[in-house]
Amino acid sequence: MAGLLTIILALGAVGLFLALPGGQARAVRAGQIGLAASGVGLLAATLGWLFPWPGANFFAGCALVALFAAVRVITHPRPVYSALYFVLLILAAAALLVQMQAEFLAAALVIVYAGAILVTYVFVIMLAQQARPLVHDIRSHEPLLGCLAGFLLLWSIAVRLFAAPVPPAVPAADLPAAGTVAAVGTSLLTTYVIAMQLAGLLLLAALVGAIAIARRRPLRDPLLEGEE
Amino acid sequence: MTNQTIQRVEGALRNPLVLVGVGAVLTVPAALVLVLAFPLYRGLLSDPFWFPLLVMAAVLFLILNATAVCILAERKIAGFTQDRYGPNRVGFWGLLQPVADGLKFLLKEDIIPRRVDKPLFLLAPCLALIVSLVGFAVIPWAGEVHWPWMEAGTTVSTQVARLDIGILYVIAVGSLGVYGLVLAGYASNNKYSFYGGLRATAQMISYELPLGLALLCVLLTTGTLRLEEIVNQQAHSGVWYVFVHPLAFLLIVICLFAETNRAPFDLPEAEQELVGGYHTEYSAMKFALFFLAEYAHMITGSAVAIALFLGGWAPLPFTSWLADNTAWWAMLLKFGVYLLKVALFIGVMMWVRWTIPRFRFDQLMRLAWRSLVPLGLLLMAAVAVLTLFGGQRVWWAGLGVNVLVLLGVLWWAARSKQPMTGRQEDLPPVEFGAM
Repeated sequence: MAGLLTIILALGAVGLFLALPGGQARAVRAGQIGLAASGVGLLAATLGWLFPWPGANFFAGCALVALFAAVRVITHPRPVYSALYFVLLILAAAALLVQMQAEFLAAALVIVYAGAILVTYVFVIMLAQQARPLVHDIRSHEPLLGCLAGFLLLWSIAVRLFAAPVPPAVPAADLPAAGTVAAVGTSLLTTYVIAMQLAGLLLLAALVGAIAIARRRPLRDPLLEGEE
Repeated sequence: MTNQTIQRVEGALRNPLVLVGVGAVLTVPAALVLVLAFPLYRGLLSDPFWFPLLVMAAVLFLILNATAVCILAERKIAGFTQDRYGPNRVGFWGLLQPVADGLKFLLKEDIIPRRVDKPLFLLAPCLALIVSLVGFAVIPWAGEVHWPWMEAGTTVSTQVARLDIGILYVIAVGSLGVYGLVLAGYASNNKYSFYGGLRATAQMISYELPLGLALLCVLLTTGTLRLEEIVNQQAHSGVWYVFVHPLAFLLIVICLFAETNRAPFDLPEAEQELVGGYHTEYSAMKFALFFLAEYAHMITGSAVAIALFLGGWAPLPFTSWLADNTAWWAMLLKFGVYLLKVALFIGVMMWVRWTIPRFRFDQLMRLAWRSLVPLGLLLMAAVAVLTLFGGQRVWWAGLGVNVLVLLGVLWWAARSKQPMTGRQEDLPPVEFGAM
């Protein structure tokens, strides 16, 4: 099992390396095909005929969309499209969260990421649009190291995941209540109250910092001052 | 067809009797088929999976047609406000104008300018429409219904999706609505469109904050995010939340105008400044999709506001009439009441459009950040304190807090002696950078 996973992940890493912008056009196409193959292989290995469980199809569909979007985020030469693929990635991830009964987390992810942060990104990208693509849009920075690091991370997670003992099944009665707003809110305000307050403080500091950076200072007009 | 025939048909359709006759010819057979086929789909009506799907289909059909009627209503109301007739050529009293408009949109040449970003140019109107349509899923149209042939005590819901996150779903979907406008502005490769898109982004992000704050006030009172629960509470107690939180209702209505880009917040498509804003380059059906999206957004938004503040399907305030009635005729009545409320709400939105002139952009931002956000924060803090002492369900306590906050804000506004909308500021020459 671990060997199969290693092969799939290595295939994915090589494909991603080839698909990253900057290489030869033919290599890019080959890389994309390799990527698609390894993505499908990964899904088939993880689910379906190996681990048939209710909802596997839904998971596979959303995961495929998420994988495709994630690859396009870093391989698309135009930043606006990258940002939009990121939105697609967020939506697919939110769908996966809904499948895990974490509805609140899904809604928060969509509201915060897709609804606020990425809109600002798109906004900035559009304003900073150049007449022709820039060097760092065409050519990716350190593709080899990046792919290697990603491969190592995913590989270690996957191998550990399959080596770990299967946790006991959660009773079905406890499932629906776990991700509700009430449950999340209660744990945020009791168990994790200090962490939440700290995060709030950090956000406040960031807000003050943003205002300090954006604040404009009246320009001294030497002509007017000369008269005094 | 010759010109003469066309004129004859036009003349005939202006006769109300002919119009009723044509309507009857179209609807009576359909109704007959529905009645005759009743045993076939009886099982579906009492099925907890299929019934919401049927409701979804019915509501979608209703809303897509309602948008057409809305456009006629808008033009009629505009006509009345400006002391003219409005559309009155097609059909009796202009009633067939939506049909003519629809045909025009479908048959016009579909122009895609050469230098546009084609995929995004095509994606934008679809996104706008999809986002404004999927919000309907959580609206509790008519509560629970018990069909006579069902087992006693069982009911089916007229809500498509009964989500635990209810209102959060509406916000999440609504926060995606800005992409349609931004992409349209960007893909058009046109400076006016782009400005429209930028304005839309800034406006919608800014007005989401007071919207969220006002929602929090209601949620503190209801203790649940489920829209069906919120409507049930109001229907049973008879106290609609508009009586408890009038200021929050006001905030939400203002934000609704801003989120739907309606006058006085229609800066993204301000004709006098930006030609047509983000939809300058759009024509034919793609333009119509933006139009549909705006009206569908209005209907969703007002339906949510009604569920939160105006009792949803509850027909009368201060009584619990119909609250526990799950008969099928009560369901139809509740549905009718809900639609009537939505229609009235949209009527008010159209009325406001011709009453209040458009804001300047700095006024728009000042209104959001210097007036609505502080007011929302104050209101939320006050309601939170009230909740701390357990008074959130006592309606006069909520109303009292609102009156206190309003008096405080008015006192502060009178003291500061600055008009809320402000004068155009004299901007001194500035340089960017940290202080």
